[in-house]
Amino acid sequence: MKRSWWTACLSVLVISSLLLMSACGGGNGTNSPGNNGGSDAADGESKDTAKSGEQVVIRHTMYDTEFTSELVAEFEKTHPNIKVEIVSADYNKLMAMMAAGNGPDIIRTNSVTELPGFVLKGMAMDLTENFQASKVFNIEDFLPVVNQFKYDIASGKHGEGAIYGFPKDWSPDYTIYYNKKLFEEAGVPFPSSTEAMTWQELVELANKLTVKNGKKTTQYGLAYYNSTIAANQDLLNLQLLQRGSSMFSADFSQAELDKPGTKDLLNFWLDTAKSGIGPSPLQQETDWGGQLFVDNKAAIIIAGYWFSGFLKTNELTKDRLDDFGVAPAPVVEGGKRISPTGAGTGAIIYKNTKHPKEAWEVFEWFFGAEPAVERAKAGYGLPGTKTLTEMLPQESAFDKMNYDFIQNELQYTDGSLPYNPYLNYQAVNSIIDKYFTPVYFDKDTVDGAVQKMTEELNTLITEGKQLVSP
Amino acid sequence: MNRQVVHETDAAFHSKRSRFRGRSFKEAIEFYLFISPWFIVFIVLGLIPLLYGLYLSFTNYAGFNMDRLVFVGLDNYRKVFTDNDAMYSLGRTLFFTVIMVPSTIILGFLLAVLLNQNIKRIGFYRTLFFIPSIIPVVAVGTMWRSLFVDDGIVNKMLEALGLEAVDWLGYDYAIYPLIIMLLWGVGGGILIYLAGLKGVSKDLYEAAAIDGATTIQRFVKITIPLVTPVLFFQFIMSIISSLQIFVQPILLAANSNSLLSTPLRPNYVYSVHAFQQIFAYGRFGYGLALLWVLFVMILILTIVVFTTSRFWVFYEVDQEGK
Repeated sequence: MKRSWWTACLSVLVISSLLLMSACGGGNGTNSPGNNGGSDAADGESKDTAKSGEQVVIRHTMYDTEFTSELVAEFEKTHPNIKVEIVSADYNKLMAMMAAGNGPDIIRTNSVTELPGFVLKGMAMDLTENFQASKVFNIEDFLPVVNQFKYDIASGKHGEGAIYGFPKDWSPDYTIYYNKKLFEEAGVPFPSSTEAMTWQELVELANKLTVKNGKKTTQYGLAYYNSTIAANQDLLNLQLLQRGSSMFSADFSQAELDKPGTKDLLNFWLDTAKSGIGPSPLQQETDWGGQLFVDNKAAIIIAGYWFSGFLKTNELTKDRLDDFGVAPAPVVEGGKRISPTGAGTGAIIYKNTKHPKEAWEVFEWFFGAEPAVERAKAGYGLPGTKTLTEMLPQESAFDKMNYDFIQNELQYTDGSLPYNPYLNYQAVNSIIDKYFTPVYFDKDTVDGAVQKMTEELNTLITEGKQLVSP
Repeated sequence: MNRQVVHETDAAFHSKRSRFRGRSFKEAIEFYLFISPWFIVFIVLGLIPLLYGLYLSFTNYAGFNMDRLVFVGLDNYRKVFTDNDAMYSLGRTLFFTVIMVPSTIILGFLLAVLLNQNIKRIGFYRTLFFIPSIIPVVAVGTMWRSLFVDDGIVNKMLEALGLEAVDWLGYDYAIYPLIIMLLWGVGGGILIYLAGLKGVSKDLYEAAAIDGATTIQRFVKITIPLVTPVLFFQFIMSIISSLQIFVQPILLAANSNSLLSTPLRPNYVYSVHAFQQIFAYGRFGYGLALLWVLFVMILILTIVVFTTSRFWVFYEVDQEGK
């Protein structure tokens, strides 16, 4: 009896200590050596500060491949009062942290699709004065892409007003890479690297490059890196922006998919998918667009400057870079030539950070100082300033081609894709997937799908508006 | 209330307390300590989150508005029954349940009967049929998807046989890969069926054989009635798991690159709808209401099956309390 009593006591002890440990672990993420150790972890940064002089912990959600441990060490060497910690958080974890009033100081942000929402949800700190006073950043030197971190709460205009963050690196994501060998095989001339094709011309070109075996496509003319070449909100938003239009009313309070222009675009993508020139719900692929491209299974891919970095490092392409060419983002017939970024990922500073000064120090260093120079030189994306653009690689013929192309394309990069700040990006994806996919299979009509999508979008917009302004 | 009553209760209380101080008290403490590891974990990681979820289903929680939650009463529950997609997806889920429950039970049971034979290397076959249920579901989904894509093995085989290739992952055929994939894991139940079959006394078969019963008669009159408790258990479990089908349709979706991919309409099941409401739409409160409705439905179905069980489930020993 005595023995079992002790076994019971022991098991209680073990379980409760396990629970305690897991609670601590969850509270503070990683604990690098030199910190006060596990026991104090749950108490957060205030205690850390007290124990090791005036040291402050700044937590960020950049990836460890971006804000590497080497960069952290470099920063901490020159800033002994600041400790930089990574907190990995997807959207839902980030929101949970916000809800608990425990948001990370620096928040990784997709400026095109997330920034307005983050500002409206009260997460982003206005950094206008910081940028104006900064000795590292020079506002005059900013490229138009930085505007993606601007949002005017009063007018609801994205790209104007106060500035909330800065891009890490970016690309005009709707430019085109093509496989010269496949063009030569089809006897089709290369597209211009300076003059933009229309979307219609792109599809006609892709048609010539498509190879079919019976009903099945064996070589695609066109692929899109992010998805299939079926209707999706990214491509639609780009075309609508070029037309000076949007899926929504001017104040984003209503979905207006039933405008004739928008319906035309939906029909355009429907026809494109049905023609079989690229992967779509009718022609499913297990690989993403980039893989199809390096496998020579797609002649053209819609992808940004970053794709040149991918081609340079991919085993299948790095030794045959001369096979590839680059061309501007297509433009809508009669529309304005705009080649914007589809993401422009960077970061904002958490509005309720306990250490705004130190958070800005880390932010300024990571986005404006040496790391920014290093990133520009590496050439995996474009920097946020004109000066740094000069530092992009141009040694090899392939680098030079990309460099020259970008210098020209940069003239057309100003413009904000009309994503709705009251809607989750994923929600719009799901709605289009859910209601427009049946149209490809002739199970619904464009009009039917438009009506269902509009209804559901409007419900969500109403709810979203109430949530940010109760 | 008069004084006497108070005194009597007092006395009862005292005697109870003294009893607690004694041996039974110690035993009670021991009992609670013994179950405490499970109990604490259940309360902290099971019950509290469940009830918290129930609470949130009555609010407008959207993932970020915890500091200004609004209590919306039964709004979210009302929405479940007016949301076309919720009802549509529920219909699809019931459709798959109606197909899956009988087929998994019949196929699983027949498989177990076959694997209960005394033949050489039976262990090998048992392992073989059990393997699908230990492979992670994501691997299973990816595998079946690559088998069913346009130029996948299934179509190659059809073509080799001179038949026309089929757009398996397209709208018209989408349910077949899903059902095949779900049925592929039917061997998962053999472990329990085999245990049930082993429990049937050999004497009964011998006695029946002496009386001249045929194999089929022995199977129908002895085997089936005696394994009904196992069939009953599997029936309940397969109803529950069929109503909760979630990740398999997503893995076969047209644009399957994340858990938020939308399956084609015929495979758009209830759990997928709830997941999308929460994680794509950010409607946490509504999504939780959807899940609580599913929970209640499963509960009701289980109770219904339980009440019918006394008409068709045979226990060799009398059940406690009957």
